[in-house]
Amino acid sequence: MAGRVGKPSRSSGGPGGSGRKGGEQEEEEQPLQAVLVADSFNRRFFPISKDQPRALLPLANVAMIDYTLEFLTSTGVQETFVFCCWMSNKIKEHLLKSKWCRPTSPNVVRIITSDLYRSLGDVLRDVDAKALVRSDFILVYGDVVSNIDVTQALQEHRSYPALSRQRRKAEKNISVMTMIFKQSSPGHKSRCEEDDIIVAMDSKTKRVLHYQRTQGLKKLQFPMNIFHSVSDEFEIRYDLLDCHISICSPQVAELFTDNFDYQTRNDFVRGILVNEEILGNQIHLYVTMDGYGARVSNLLMYDAVSSDMVRRWIYPLTPEANFTDRKGQECTHSRHNVYRGAGVSLGHGSHMAENVLIGRDTSIGANCHISNSVIGSNCTIGDNVVLDRAYVWNGVHIASGAVIRQSVLCDGVKVKERVTLNRQWLCLQVVVGPDISLPEGTVVSMHHPDEEDEEDEDEFLSDGADNSSNQAKTKLKAFSAAEVGAEGKGYIWRPVKQDDTEDDELVQCLWGLVLNDQNSESESEVSEDSNDLDSRGMSPELDDVKVFQTEVLGTLQRGMEENISCDNLVLEINSLKYAYNITLKEVMQVLMRVVLEFPFQQQGPQLAAVQYCALLLRLLKKWAPVFRNYVKRAPDQMDCLESLEEFFLEHETHWGAMVKVLMELYQLDILEEELIMRWFSDGVTSAKSRQLRKNPGLLKFIQWLEEAEDESSEEDGQ
Amino acid sequence: MELQAVVMAAGGGSRMMDLTYSIPKPLLPIGNKPLIWYPLSLLERVGFEEVIVITTKEAQKEVQKLLLTETKLKPDIVCVQEDADMGTADALRHIQQKIKTDVLVVSCDLITDAALHEVVDLFRVHNATLSMLMSKAHEFTETVPGQKGKKKAGEQRDFVGVDDSGKRLLFMANEADLDEDLVIRKSIMRRHPRMHIKTGLVDAHLYCLKRSVIDFLAENKSISSIRGELVPCLVRKQFSKFSSLQKNKEEPNQNMKKKDANTNSENHIASADDDLLELALNRSCWNDHRGDMCGAYHGGKLRCYVHIMEEGMCYRVNTLAAYIEANRLASKLFEEPAIHPSAVISERSVVGSDSIIGTYCQIAEKASVKRSTIGASTTIKEKAKITNSIIMNGVTIEEGCNIQGSVICSHATICRGADIKYCLVGNSQRVELAPRTTEEIVPLPFTDPALIYASF
Repeated sequence: MAGRVGKPSRSSGGPGGSGRKGGEQEEEEQPLQAVLVADSFNRRFFPISKDQPRALLPLANVAMIDYTLEFLTSTGVQETFVFCCWMSNKIKEHLLKSKWCRPTSPNVVRIITSDLYRSLGDVLRDVDAKALVRSDFILVYGDVVSNIDVTQALQEHRSYPALSRQRRKAEKNISVMTMIFKQSSPGHKSRCEEDDIIVAMDSKTKRVLHYQRTQGLKKLQFPMNIFHSVSDEFEIRYDLLDCHISICSPQVAELFTDNFDYQTRNDFVRGILVNEEILGNQIHLYVTMDGYGARVSNLLMYDAVSSDMVRRWIYPLTPEANFTDRKGQECTHSRHNVYRGAGVSLGHGSHMAENVLIGRDTSIGANCHISNSVIGSNCTIGDNVVLDRAYVWNGVHIASGAVIRQSVLCDGVKVKERVTLNRQWLCLQVVVGPDISLPEGTVVSMHHPDEEDEEDEDEFLSDGADNSSNQAKTKLKAFSAAEVGAEGKGYIWRPVKQDDTEDDELVQCLWGLVLNDQNSESESEVSEDSNDLDSRGMSPELDDVKVFQTEVLGTLQRGMEENISCDNLVLEINSLKYAYNITLKEVMQVLMRVVLEFPFQQQGPQLAAVQYCALLLRLLKKWAPVFRNYVKRAPDQMDCLESLEEFFLEHETHWGAMVKVLMELYQLDILEEELIMRWFSDGVTSAKSRQLRKNPGLLKFIQWLEEAEDESSEEDGQ
Repeated sequence: MELQAVVMAAGGGSRMMDLTYSIPKPLLPIGNKPLIWYPLSLLERVGFEEVIVITTKEAQKEVQKLLLTETKLKPDIVCVQEDADMGTADALRHIQQKIKTDVLVVSCDLITDAALHEVVDLFRVHNATLSMLMSKAHEFTETVPGQKGKKKAGEQRDFVGVDDSGKRLLFMANEADLDEDLVIRKSIMRRHPRMHIKTGLVDAHLYCLKRSVIDFLAENKSISSIRGELVPCLVRKQFSKFSSLQKNKEEPNQNMKKKDANTNSENHIASADDDLLELALNRSCWNDHRGDMCGAYHGGKLRCYVHIMEEGMCYRVNTLAAYIEANRLASKLFEEPAIHPSAVISERSVVGSDSIIGTYCQIAEKASVKRSTIGASTTIKEKAKITNSIIMNGVTIEEGCNIQGSVICSHATICRGADIKYCLVGNSQRVELAPRTTEEIVPLPFTDPALIYASF
């Protein structure tokens, strides 16, 4: 399929080499392309995404991918590659039926499917492999709802590389990506908690200097090197909502190929920013003030975007616009944002308060009260039903007397009489009731939760997992009447699953994921601030040193087993030093410590002093070059001696070995006698260290050193 | 009286010792006026009638004389010991008894044409604890005596964070104090989601401070400098105890119990009229921010503001480079004629209009003075050429001298035919021997140890 896509759009381009040249000149005229990723590669919408890919979930009665395609088309995209993975057949089927695949569509949609995509990175690597893009392209997910006109951003994006082209000799900076953000202050409803980001940018060039997710952070840290650029004005912005729309240069796909560890766009952005100085790639941002753009990345966002849609914030994408041009989607718009499809019947005394969208052929009984809700087509709603912030999909039956607040009812759900739902999520075909109220924040699905565990792990990354094989098994398990009511069908998914990965934690939070209580946070800050006045210096991360120590130990152990040369060991330790940001002094101390502890690590802590000594001396001889590499100047030697002392203070029984170690280090020219003497005379820190210095062996050694010194000085004198 | 003005004139001028070892910093002549005259006249212009000047014994008499002759301000001169190593905050603490209202603190080395009311207005409008003046940093264009090549770029920058309006001061740190990361608390970002960090600013050292800050200083003796410690501390405290404030209201007695810094900083805003202000804030629809639904200032009572001058002149004369630059621009600041009527200028000499000639100067025939400042009672003899230079009082420049880009301190004598470029000649020095000295020549033989700094 993709092979067909690769054909040049300009048939006028001459053959062979001349065609290539012409192509470069006409770069500006290239049709705008877009890459649409119709898979989320996560399970925020699990378990509903088990039966339906996320891109096809209805939002205000329209599949989400239609919004994305409409956005791309209206912004001038002429060719869109839709990459599908999970349930690609359904998406394909949907698209083929849609207006996008009609011959008159200004936006040519090409569908590329593969079961092998595991991340955005895989998709973009495939883009590169198939050489699909020819110039700047727009990268979006299949669940982005937006009305932003990216023309402006596109122009800006194109101007960045042009700017640097003039100065190319001086600096090879190329803008590879422009991320599009919407300005929305903290606390805004459509701000996604997951995408709570902070961006540091250069005010003048709009270059992104730092990009970080701040979820759960209290202090935001910006590395100083980002402020070393020529500019003297920076902006730190916390009022941005990531629209997940990015304008990418063709290099982006190549960069994903080059860096096979990039999985998400986040990886990419971080990688680019970290390596900016080396590779010269830059990322810019474009902030829209009035456009709307949001990614429906979780249930809260689903709620927020749906209500924004009904409240007409995404104009001209409104429910009555029927931009998908499908039959039966038409509806009328009346006061208080009430939309009604064709054939809607409303019973006596029923009241549609505000912000209500009702799909075709839905019938509503008497004395209902409906507000802030979206109801799909072919639904039947009984009498005296209360719906508030309810998202009811197609073909749902709600019996009389039900009260439903802030819930999602998927296709074919049956809610029996007098059921109360609050913050629920009922998946396909579930039946609940009658006379039951479910605990807040539960998910009911026809799939048994255990089914999930039994399934293999490799489908974990995709939207859901194939369940056909388990159908039989499912039926065997009985529905619990206590959970879903006497006539209920469905299994309750436990609200909290401890053993899940971090990512999935959010899924389970669902509606429970309310905006953080800000008061509690600031209260906790009080204590933190109380001694703010003087103690500004932050304690360095001690953990790093510890981790470094274990890493060094590991390195040395491996060095022992595999007989790695000392040069390579030094190389490895150096790279660890940089990885954990360890000072040279700490390296020395850690190294000394690790080597001294090494025999214990190998043979267990009960090692007798004599054996310990023998083992250690062998090690010291072996690794002498490593020590020589680090221990050069006088202060290094003192540090070395201090950590030596520290170690032996902890291991009193092995004091005998200490002299041998000192002797060995002296003979290996790692420590100089002068410094050993100085340490011996000046380094007393505690009673115990004084005691240590009274060790007869040590005294003898010192005496010997003194004599040797005298001798040498005498020799000099002569 | 709304504000009391305090002029800090006790600094030693440690960054330009070449000049200040003989003249106290406040008395350094700039455009034939002592340095301290500039902040004093600034205060006088905006209507201050009294001023407290903190200075050293050394400079006291001169300053007193100046205040009586040159200004109409009613002075109150406080002396501090120069060697006592007093910071500006220490000095403020020293005069605590004299301060009855909010204060405006100015450093004696500030030369600016800033509209002072901008700073004071911020202070008033927001009932701020601190408001200060900053300006875009200037590039010094002139060659500076004694400095080889260009000024090194590795200077420590200040990071100043302001909110979207560019007025509220949110963050302040010096590069030297920041280790590897610049750390900002998320709660600040939540309240002020768009922070502009500026690095190219100079602090004019002009502060409006609440009276209560002085009390705060009195209780926190560890703070010794306004710029280095007090201001960063206040800026940080804006966002610290958000909720302890509420506690304070509940138990007013708490003040006495606690003596630690935290409660004090909150106390000092809990003044009598605060209730009225709060009522006004509650009843009005005005808000200082947009975005969230919180009340004005997010309930914070400690607020710091900064006025950043986008254009105009603002110099702190604390380095030789700034001194030279200020001299060049000083003539724009006062209305008096550039050439003092008592000066005797030969008709056949050339005196540029961009030069300032002091009282009782004598400029002989064929001498030429361009872009220079000539101090009082200076004699310039025949055929001397002076360009881009600062000549202080009582200097004698003999025949045929050529002086370019230099600073000649008081009572120096430049002997016949000397050729001096980019040099600094110390007080009462005699530059003898007059071979043509070009830029490459080693310092001239002096009667005294060399006090000439050449930038060869």
